[in-house]
Amino acid sequence: MIYIEDHWQGLFLKPQQLKKWKKYANSADKKIGAFLQFKPDLAHISSAEHGELEGVPFAVKDNIAVRPFKLTCGSRMLKSLNSPYTATAVKKLQARGGVVVGKTNLDEFGMGSSTENSSLAKTVNPWDLSRVPGGSSGGSAAAVAAGIVPFALGSDTGGSVRQPAAFCGVYGLKPTYGTVSRYGLVAYASSLEVIGVIAKRVDTARMVFSIMHGQDDLDHSSLEYQPLPEVPEHLTVGIPIECSRDLHYDIDKSFKKTKDTLGELGFTVQEISIPSLDYVVSAYYVIATAEASANLARFDGIRFGERAIEADNPEELILLSRSRGLGDEVKLRILLGTYVLRSGFQDQYYLRAQKIRTAIRMDFEKAYSGVDLILMPVYSYPPFKFGGDGLDPFSQKLADIFTCTANLAGIPAMSFPASMENGLPIGMQFLAPPFGEELLFKACSIFEKIFPAPDSPIYSTEWSE
Amino acid sequence: MMFSIRACGLTLRSRLCLMCPGMDREELYITAHLARLELSEEEIDRFQAAVLQLLKYFDKMMEMDVENLKPTTQLIENNRLREDVLSDYDMTDQLLQSAPELEERFVVIPNVL
Repeated sequence: MIYIEDHWQGLFLKPQQLKKWKKYANSADKKIGAFLQFKPDLAHISSAEHGELEGVPFAVKDNIAVRPFKLTCGSRMLKSLNSPYTATAVKKLQARGGVVVGKTNLDEFGMGSSTENSSLAKTVNPWDLSRVPGGSSGGSAAAVAAGIVPFALGSDTGGSVRQPAAFCGVYGLKPTYGTVSRYGLVAYASSLEVIGVIAKRVDTARMVFSIMHGQDDLDHSSLEYQPLPEVPEHLTVGIPIECSRDLHYDIDKSFKKTKDTLGELGFTVQEISIPSLDYVVSAYYVIATAEASANLARFDGIRFGERAIEADNPEELILLSRSRGLGDEVKLRILLGTYVLRSGFQDQYYLRAQKIRTAIRMDFEKAYSGVDLILMPVYSYPPFKFGGDGLDPFSQKLADIFTCTANLAGIPAMSFPASMENGLPIGMQFLAPPFGEELLFKACSIFEKIFPAPDSPIYSTEWSE
Repeated sequence: MMFSIRACGLTLRSRLCLMCPGMDREELYITAHLARLELSEEEIDRFQAAVLQLLKYFDKMMEMDVENLKPTTQLIENNRLREDVLSDYDMTDQLLQSAPELEERFVVIPNVL
């Protein structure tokens, strides 16, 4: 089976080609700003000489550790931090020959849906330079859509792999919670997040996942991947009736088209109901910010990161270092998370959110008794413009509704380019039961045959000729 | 009976609604201090509006009946245990290198007293 286009295979073994690719990559990245650090030779020595990914370049979101690259998380606080070690997921890819060529831009600590919350750089959408690439793994998605790398790693806490993949017209896989080790992923909301992959082709995502998954002694919450025993020949797809509300016109159009196309492709399409969908955004933001407030307590300027050197005592050192080093969206989420965990409010917010999380899991369990997969839009809006012309931060959060459900339930989901509307790619996603990744790959592959990931205006393979 | 349940729900809801205006500058200041964040007057204004907007939105959760539901705290059902044995750790020096200020193998901070 062809996992990856020919020109990517063994690229690092062909000096002439490599030189041409570097030139292309640099010029493409100048236009889109996907990378915080682009140094193709820096970690080459850490890659095995043989394996399925022999000499294949890939990019890694800058909240995933890769030695000796930096690990900034898009934050002023960590702008000079060098990664002392390499994440397990990355190590596994290096052991099969993959070469990390750079670290990609993101919303600070993964908090955002546009990559505008990066404190260090601006990334634009390769389809329209006046629009955001999505987020938080915006740099990874833009790099793949621009043809700089065939795939890139991201992290998905509430949609951060799938949404930017959708905005940039490529594939985004959020695996089952725990199947990919989180060792080396800077923690934001530990019970929700997982390392995922953004790729130009379904088969590439599939291969990368097959290498990355597996239990890891360094991550207590990691699991052995136990694929579902069989993938049915004929797939039944459920469409939640709750999904059609409040969609932007272009998303609604694409959603309807996709439903029709699935029917034509031989899928059985039927309506289902996920009644708890109305509450997922609330439950998600309560849980995510609560976990974030605890996880981000480690950024105190003492053992690593930027320090307020003029502080007179430790208390002041922590206060000043955090207040200067962290950006607005991160502060907002820490404040919210601290508030919902304060004594007296826990039952009303955190405990209630966790109970709603149980209801969401039960709704999905029930739905999967009748269907193999669920189809939903990825995001309520198409790629939006930067700043004031775009989508305000509150509306961005509400639009996480379709992605964050999979994180609350821990189930796998994969976004795929479904159509082009007004010159912009629109993504839909399939959701599967736990360990149902093969169902996702199968469904996405069938759709890919009639609608492969479109090439962005920046995308080029001329360097390989 | 029906009436009393509804009445109870209403009380709960109205208490929550009262709680939001309770997120005043003082409350935000206390929360910020707990999170070890120092906010300027201008930041307090900005964050207060954003925090209030989200807390108000969270009130939507009160509509749902969660009476018989257990909380989901984590998705991994069984704890995975390991033997309590020593193992080699060879990254101490690399981790120390990240500290903003070092004196030999000690991380330096300002005077505690």
